[in-house]
Amino acid sequence: MMNRQIAFRAGALAFLLVLGGCATGPGGDGIYAPMGGDDRTRAPEPPRTDAGKDEAEEKVWRKSEQPQQDEDPREDERRSPSYSETGSQLPAAALSLVREGDRRLQQGNTAGAIASLERAQRIAPRSAEVYFKLAEAYVRSDNLGTAEQFTLKGLSLAGNNESMQRSGWRLLADIRRARGNVAGADQAEARARAL
Amino acid sequence: MTRSRSPKKRKSGRKPAAGRTLLRLLLRTGLLAVFLLAGWMVYLDAQVTSRFEGRRFEVPSRVYARPLELYEGASVSASALARELELAGYRQGDGRRAGTYRRSGREFVITTRGFEFPDGHEARRRLRLTLGDGQVRSMSVLEGQRSSIVRLEPAHIGGIYPEHREDRVLVQLEDVPRELLATLLVVEDRDFYDHFGVAPTAIARAMVANLKAGGIVQGGSTLTQQLVKNFFLTREQTLVRKANEALMSILLELHYDKNDILETYLNEVYLGQAGNRSIHGFGLASQFYFGESLNDLAAHQIALLVAMVKGPSYYNPRRNPGRATERRNLVIGQMQQAGLLSQAEASAARGSGLGVTPRPSFSENRYPAFIDLVRRHLARDYREEDLQSEGLRIFTTLNPTQQEVAEKTVREQLPRITGNDSLEAALVVTTKDSGEVLALVGGKDPQFAGFNRALDARRPIGSLIKPFVYLTALQQPDRYTLVTPVQDRAFALEFDDGRRWQPSNYDGKQRGEVPLHRALSHSYNLPVVRVGLDVGIPRVQETLRAFGAQGAIPDFPSMLLGTPALTPVEVAQVYQGLATGGFNTPLRTIRDVTSSDNERLSRYNLEVRQVADAAAVHLVQYAMQETMQEGTGRSAYNWLPDSLSLAGKTGTTDDGRDAWFAGFSDNLLAVAWVGRDDNGPTALTGATGALPVWASMMSAVPQYGFSPVVPDGVNYHWVDSERAALTNEYCDNARLVPFIAGSEPEQRVECEGNIGGQIRSWFEGLFQ
Repeated sequence: MMNRQIAFRAGALAFLLVLGGCATGPGGDGIYAPMGGDDRTRAPEPPRTDAGKDEAEEKVWRKSEQPQQDEDPREDERRSPSYSETGSQLPAAALSLVREGDRRLQQGNTAGAIASLERAQRIAPRSAEVYFKLAEAYVRSDNLGTAEQFTLKGLSLAGNNESMQRSGWRLLADIRRARGNVAGADQAEARARAL
Repeated sequence: MTRSRSPKKRKSGRKPAAGRTLLRLLLRTGLLAVFLLAGWMVYLDAQVTSRFEGRRFEVPSRVYARPLELYEGASVSASALARELELAGYRQGDGRRAGTYRRSGREFVITTRGFEFPDGHEARRRLRLTLGDGQVRSMSVLEGQRSSIVRLEPAHIGGIYPEHREDRVLVQLEDVPRELLATLLVVEDRDFYDHFGVAPTAIARAMVANLKAGGIVQGGSTLTQQLVKNFFLTREQTLVRKANEALMSILLELHYDKNDILETYLNEVYLGQAGNRSIHGFGLASQFYFGESLNDLAAHQIALLVAMVKGPSYYNPRRNPGRATERRNLVIGQMQQAGLLSQAEASAARGSGLGVTPRPSFSENRYPAFIDLVRRHLARDYREEDLQSEGLRIFTTLNPTQQEVAEKTVREQLPRITGNDSLEAALVVTTKDSGEVLALVGGKDPQFAGFNRALDARRPIGSLIKPFVYLTALQQPDRYTLVTPVQDRAFALEFDDGRRWQPSNYDGKQRGEVPLHRALSHSYNLPVVRVGLDVGIPRVQETLRAFGAQGAIPDFPSMLLGTPALTPVEVAQVYQGLATGGFNTPLRTIRDVTSSDNERLSRYNLEVRQVADAAAVHLVQYAMQETMQEGTGRSAYNWLPDSLSLAGKTGTTDDGRDAWFAGFSDNLLAVAWVGRDDNGPTALTGATGALPVWASMMSAVPQYGFSPVVPDGVNYHWVDSERAALTNEYCDNARLVPFIAGSEPEQRVECEGNIGGQIRSWFEGLFQ
């Protein structure tokens, strides 16, 4: 992919992207900007983007370097709009809430499950899984319209994570089929297969 | 029936004997008296119970803030945690007793009390937390059920009270400080827990004391009698009245538990007058005299309140501070005798001033603007009288730390904005992806529970409309991309009735052809009108409606420059969809409503609904980020670190009548409005009026940079946006711009001979 190529070439410059809002680092949850925080080191070049998952190791290194960059901000002509290739990983706290949601779902306590999953969503609002789980809970409570919307929301955050996308499209296909939308279901199925 | 009785009467009349007749007469009168008395008692009983029930069961609903969730990685600074703990009623202590915490620097040991949440019980736990850089670095459960996430008890932020006594602050017995209860009983009714409503010994004691003193110095009324007295409006003191009160007191004691009576007393006792409004109950009196909650009172303040029970007007601390002090010190003496205060504490208390605020404060609701929104949301599903009297528990989304930051920002930033002092402001803060309202400021005095601008100031939104116009256009990728050249040239529209409309740019300049992304990020007026007219006003209206705009949207071309009027909360609603990639997320202020015994009555779930193509919204988000970096919003970085990527939009209406700023980071969305209540002109723009409020608020809360996930069907390409062509990454004017698949430029331009670019590309190679 082009972005990946770019990122590899970007080399040392790419760390600014990590600072600039990549939300896919191994630490999970995006770049935390503390109050009155450090100046972002700017690119000597127009827009850069984060490079997605493949840069994981480099990001670790860069994150650890982050504090030092305070003293050494590079001047540059401009910042660039930021984006990420994938949503966020589930942090441990959110994961435990998703599990609690699962347990409640097993017990038939759908309302309780939704409450747990919404707590997880507040912690990890960019995790596709949480939305898929919410969709599942709404499927169980026979609220398919809502389930479809949560699936779409999850898909919008799946980014380039193919297994996540595949799960989402399959879920969507099932929901649409259950709603009687055969064409929509086939389309979603095709998307899942194409991955 | 009358017939069968009359023979009996005749029968009894037939045996006349003087002595017996008298006896019978007496007996009959006696019986009659007993019957009458019994009847009277029944009447009194009905009276007193209905009064009592009326008071006791009118329990207002309790409103809670959102509970603070603690887990590793949670965004909370040490000072914010301390504040949250304080608001949730924690005290500094050993951290071992429930409801206490110990803090040493960035380390906290907290023992929670446990809480019944609508979705289950949160166990009591002892926790150790280490904070750093505004996050929870580590958390361990020292005692209690292990968990990687723990909820603190939510702060109680207000109540929903009956209209006619808006400023009553009902307290529950368990919330009343022990010292106050003990002092009250020591001073007013030592035998409260032993007597049956009246205390003959106390009356005797009082009579002796009064005889000795040659006047009334001591009352023998029990708390129950005082309470009964308070149920009736007149204050005349007759023997009959006294007897009635005594009877009613006994009846009350027969019906109710001592604690119920005490609690009602605490809320009923008359403690002062404010104009034609009487101050009843210790909860309100504490607010009224000290501006503090009952739980925060010092010993000398408790003494003063108890002292005033005897005569709130005579001992009025504002009007008669001398008398009040004297009586207070007498009470302090009694507290000391009863062992409630040590000698040292008592003399310290005597040495204290009265501590009364110069002007009475009424508000118990700390966050009136937010509570106002909560009430309006509740009004959809609940009857007002149920909210006022059923003791419901309302769990809201308010984030107290965020709210206080928002209030402080408005208070501090508004005076700094040059202009005049009639400026007003509103600020709405929500979470980006769940649409929860975290904070709401309705004016420059956040404590003022009056006109709530965040909900009621419906003002033209100016350039805040532009993202929606361009979004409408970008949803047609075959016609519009971010690099499509648009015309920044003046033109005039002539209407059928001969009127002419000639829009112009804010700076009056014309720039010719500009790429669409720059037209948006620099908020040029001429291109947006051209694009809007090209895609059609009805389509733009549709987009706005889909995103949640309510009410009438005008269909004049001037709507493309923002004549539609929205309130700040509505702006937050429509921007929510832009921030979440086209998913409309209804704003929520309430998560759950339960009955007083935690039965769930309503749950307001997270909802999402896709209202626009995620890909097109992603393109708009790009331009809104550019707004912050290069366009009209860039002064935000005077407050914020460069590392924080943000997206936003300024808005200004004619003559600076309204200054708007709406924008978002990865987790927060906020809308600021600054203007005048009389809709008068100001010298402000969105960037000079509203943006300082917005940016300074954003700078004071920890958050993540905005970095939207690239949706399906969007590809980034290096382009020379001036020439709307693909280009080499290292060319000077190269930009990495998102395109909806298939709409990317086909033409390619190179920047050969650009030495700077070549050198940089060399370095890229070296550093790889």
